[in-house]
Amino acid sequence: MGVLSSNLKPSFLGLLKFLNNMNWFIVFFSLINISVCIYEDQIGKFDWRQTYVGRIKFAQFDTVSTAKKIIVATEENVLAALNLKTGQVVWRHVFETASTGNIQLLHVGEKVTTVTGSNPYLVRGWDSNTGVLIWEWSLTVQNDLTEYSQWWVQNNMLVHVLPVFGSHIEVTMYNLLTGNNRGASSMLPAVWTNERCIFTAPYYTCISGPLESQLLLSIDVTSNAVKIISKPLADYVDIQQTVSVNLRPLGGNSITPSFVIGNDRIVFIRDNNFEKSKVQLGDKSASATVVDGANGHILVQTWMDDVTGFTLKAHSVSTGKEVTDIYCSDKTLNIPKPELLAVMCTRTTREQNACRLLVNAADDAVHLMQQGGRALWSREEALSRARAVEFVELPVSDTDAALESEFGQKEGSVWSAFARRLLTQYQQLQNLVRSLQGESAVQNSSSSLVRDYFNLHRIIVIVTDAGKIFGIDNLSGAILWRRYEAALSARAASVFTRRSARTPPHHAHLSVVAAHRETGNGFILSLNPITGELIDEGKLILDVRLLQCMMLHVPDSEKLHALVLLDEKENVMVLPSSAAPLVEDVYMYVAEKDTAKVQGYSLRYDGKAVRARRTWAARLGGAGAARVAALAARPRLEHVRAPGRALPDRSVLYKYSNPNLVLFVVERLDPLYKEEVVAVALDVVSGTLAGAAAHRRARALPLAAHADNCFVYLYRSEKHRRLELATMELYEGKERWLEPGVPFSSLESNQVPIVEHQAFILPATPTAAAFTITERSLTDRHVLLGLSSGAVVELPWGYLESRRDESLPAAAPELPLPADATLNYNRTLRRVSGLHAAPAGLESTSLVLVTGLDLFYTRVAPSKTFDLLKDDFDYYLITIVLSALIVATYSTKYFASRKMLKQAWK
Amino acid sequence: MKMFATFFFSIYMLQNAICLDYDGWLNIKIEHTLNCKHEEYCARGSISLKSIRTGIPIIDQINFNDGHINELKEIAKVDGIYALRTLVSTAESKDVEIFSFVRAKRFLESGLSDIIRAWVLPNGEVIALSLQVANTSELKDVEYRSSEYKLNSTFYIRHVDPAPLPDTASYIQKLEREKEAREKGDLKDNRSFLAKYWMYIVPIAIFVMISGAANPEPAAQAAR
Repeated sequence: MGVLSSNLKPSFLGLLKFLNNMNWFIVFFSLINISVCIYEDQIGKFDWRQTYVGRIKFAQFDTVSTAKKIIVATEENVLAALNLKTGQVVWRHVFETASTGNIQLLHVGEKVTTVTGSNPYLVRGWDSNTGVLIWEWSLTVQNDLTEYSQWWVQNNMLVHVLPVFGSHIEVTMYNLLTGNNRGASSMLPAVWTNERCIFTAPYYTCISGPLESQLLLSIDVTSNAVKIISKPLADYVDIQQTVSVNLRPLGGNSITPSFVIGNDRIVFIRDNNFEKSKVQLGDKSASATVVDGANGHILVQTWMDDVTGFTLKAHSVSTGKEVTDIYCSDKTLNIPKPELLAVMCTRTTREQNACRLLVNAADDAVHLMQQGGRALWSREEALSRARAVEFVELPVSDTDAALESEFGQKEGSVWSAFARRLLTQYQQLQNLVRSLQGESAVQNSSSSLVRDYFNLHRIIVIVTDAGKIFGIDNLSGAILWRRYEAALSARAASVFTRRSARTPPHHAHLSVVAAHRETGNGFILSLNPITGELIDEGKLILDVRLLQCMMLHVPDSEKLHALVLLDEKENVMVLPSSAAPLVEDVYMYVAEKDTAKVQGYSLRYDGKAVRARRTWAARLGGAGAARVAALAARPRLEHVRAPGRALPDRSVLYKYSNPNLVLFVVERLDPLYKEEVVAVALDVVSGTLAGAAAHRRARALPLAAHADNCFVYLYRSEKHRRLELATMELYEGKERWLEPGVPFSSLESNQVPIVEHQAFILPATPTAAAFTITERSLTDRHVLLGLSSGAVVELPWGYLESRRDESLPAAAPELPLPADATLNYNRTLRRVSGLHAAPAGLESTSLVLVTGLDLFYTRVAPSKTFDLLKDDFDYYLITIVLSALIVATYSTKYFASRKMLKQAWK
Repeated sequence: MKMFATFFFSIYMLQNAICLDYDGWLNIKIEHTLNCKHEEYCARGSISLKSIRTGIPIIDQINFNDGHINELKEIAKVDGIYALRTLVSTAESKDVEIFSFVRAKRFLESGLSDIIRAWVLPNGEVIALSLQVANTSELKDVEYRSSEYKLNSTFYIRHVDPAPLPDTASYIQKLEREKEAREKGDLKDNRSFLAKYWMYIVPIAIFVMISGAANPEPAAQAAR
């Protein structure tokens, strides 16, 4: 199409000039789609991006610059500025993922200062308005034990505190801007230091001494004269508790050096002395901080418990009186384990506190609240670590459901069908009357979550590392529902749509199979993906670890697909258990990641229970050390309709389209060639190999994708020091093995397919790879690659085809990555970690969600939108022209007949 | 025990044998679950190769007796599986356990003929054994009446091919050829006249057609 239209374009314009008075030509040519890329006005029309920063580690209010911001540093090694009013990212810097990018210190003064890395450290200064780097110097500490280093900024000096436990504390000061050392490091003798010490700038505090006479010791590390505060611990906590007294600093950039001792006592350090707080913590898990309030310092604390819900309290430090205007206790707010990141209070005219509290929660959400507990905005930072994604179809509207149920019921007499017909027509009439009465507004709100004509509107269910599950509207990107399960570990989570919303009256059913965070046992969550509510089994925690899980291909009487779980004792569990008799001819495989040992199981119902029997086993890496770097199975949603491909000589080459193939990319050590990558296409039902390839002196990347008979995987060639992309295609040959229509069976065939290989140089570093999927797989297939540069590129399979016909030009060895193949145009996506494609109702279109630090959703049309009119199709023009033509036809007919009549009279 | 050997030669294999780093021997002990007294698996035979490169196997297997066949028939009744345990030994590794299976029904139908394919890495290690039943087009229902049944096994060695490298050399050659051709003179456009100028001809033709259709009208007006 593209070639044709580019050829047509000049002649087309000439033609228009030539025949500009002939309307029907304009009509004819308006049907030819000339556009290839998106236009500027289409930006954001089919796609959205959400930027995240990760779980926040440090945060400080930027009160210096005019535009109010919060500067945050996160566990994802991101430094960002958030708009105080909206919570949106103003600027963002993404550092390295490794320990070199780890942020150790965030200090917001006139400029933002960060210390990143771990020996050598990098000290950088940033402009808080623009995020521009202003200065940078590196710092290497000679001492090896830098793990317990503490950093602090005081009077434009960077203070580095390095305790050597049981000996001394090393304190070094550097000029913040230049890195000049003020002098040598000073060694403060402190034999009483240990691992449990805390640093509340500028004091270094420890509990030390023999058990019966433990001391609370503290030292000001910045003062010139060494002054140690030393008090018996029994003065501050009950002597019975002293066996293991906890010490933790107050959070949220507390303005006075203070810490929590025991469970709930707060101690301030003032004038080189410990001072017991008049206020205790309300809960032992409470997070507290001291801020400057309207009437002196106030102690703000927050916690969440079952009785009072989310609680926020504040007391005056000097008097111990509660500050009532900050108090909040709300059962509806769900902020698990709240933690005060930063608090800022200003005085209003009426001597009241106007506070802004940045609260972090265990579910990685961050909330900005004001006094009284009203949330101004919230950010769901859990979405920066998505693990499993599923596109869920929406239910049909009520009227459609009624229609479907009417035509779906085949049984019954003519009279009952007639009665049903009348009933539905009565309902439709009612609906019509209601809509005429102006109740359409009510309908609109409910119909927003209803399947559209092309089935483009979906709910994306995302399971995140934090254990939070989200339901996101794919058109707007809005979060429809969220559910936090603290015990859910999503590291190896799988999501199954066990019943789609297509089957009224049953609701949709989605199951998340994951592990328990502490025990590693199976954790199964069943919910309605449209509303996010738990259904059926709800939350199910097994007492055994799971090896493998799958969804049964046949639905039960309630149209629910059962879950089949294989546990580590090789027992099988079927959910719901009533579906166990349906388990027949079911096969499973289990791959050991670290040994590349793969096993197959056959599952069968023996009248009482489902038993698993090991049927085959293979060692894909040979006898030596090997590991599975990547694994790609065919997507569940893919249905292949085309059995072969047409060759230039008009013959057909039949594809080996085995749905049971799984691609294993195995990295093994070869004594001769060092590393070797072996890619194996294995039929996991029968355990037979369909094709394999070995790459010498290469290291595998954890990226592989599989669709139909195509395989793609990536590896780093150590010999050439470059990244390469290899493809594999399997063919039956020019003769078809099976008659058309005969279902494929892995156990019946005994032939080996023809395997075609090809490798290409990839001039980029990919971090994610996937195939596009369309409804019937008739559209071209594209490979999507997420690159470390922040782009997601679309590569047509035509470039990568392993099989090269003689008529085609030889493949370029280096893959072109043209800028217009970038799906996300100029919207850079950082740390792309996953690409998820799902078919839309339109054959041409595939829905794509990119996960990583950012979320990006778009839709792609690999063969262009051949089944859609283009976006700016001129409906008015074609209607006017058509009606004008009809009018002209009839009027000329009328005039012609009149003329004929006149002529006849002559 | 009777010797039964199937020799297999093919040019295809000889070509592929080149990808082997160095030649070595291969010994595969085959055990199955039929007619075993106490153990789960008992010996069915062995396949040994003196040289992986030539790929000529010496297959030494037991013959099935009535006990085997009856047990196999029992399994086939419930559509069970006939499982093999193979212990693969090479010069490098010893007794690597690999399991494979076929459906017992199909194995009986085929007249106890199976195909064993061993996939061998370039260093001579076996990564997987696939057991498949030979085609049953000629043998549908075998009568099991005699007391001894020959196992009819075919053994193939399959090599994990070294994957091709990105084809830079031929591409550079192609570019150079094109460059040479360009230096010699422009590439001759040998498309036909119509293929070259169709975009100019078609509009004219359409215009002529339309004006031809519209022409009679003024003539008629002139007649009035």
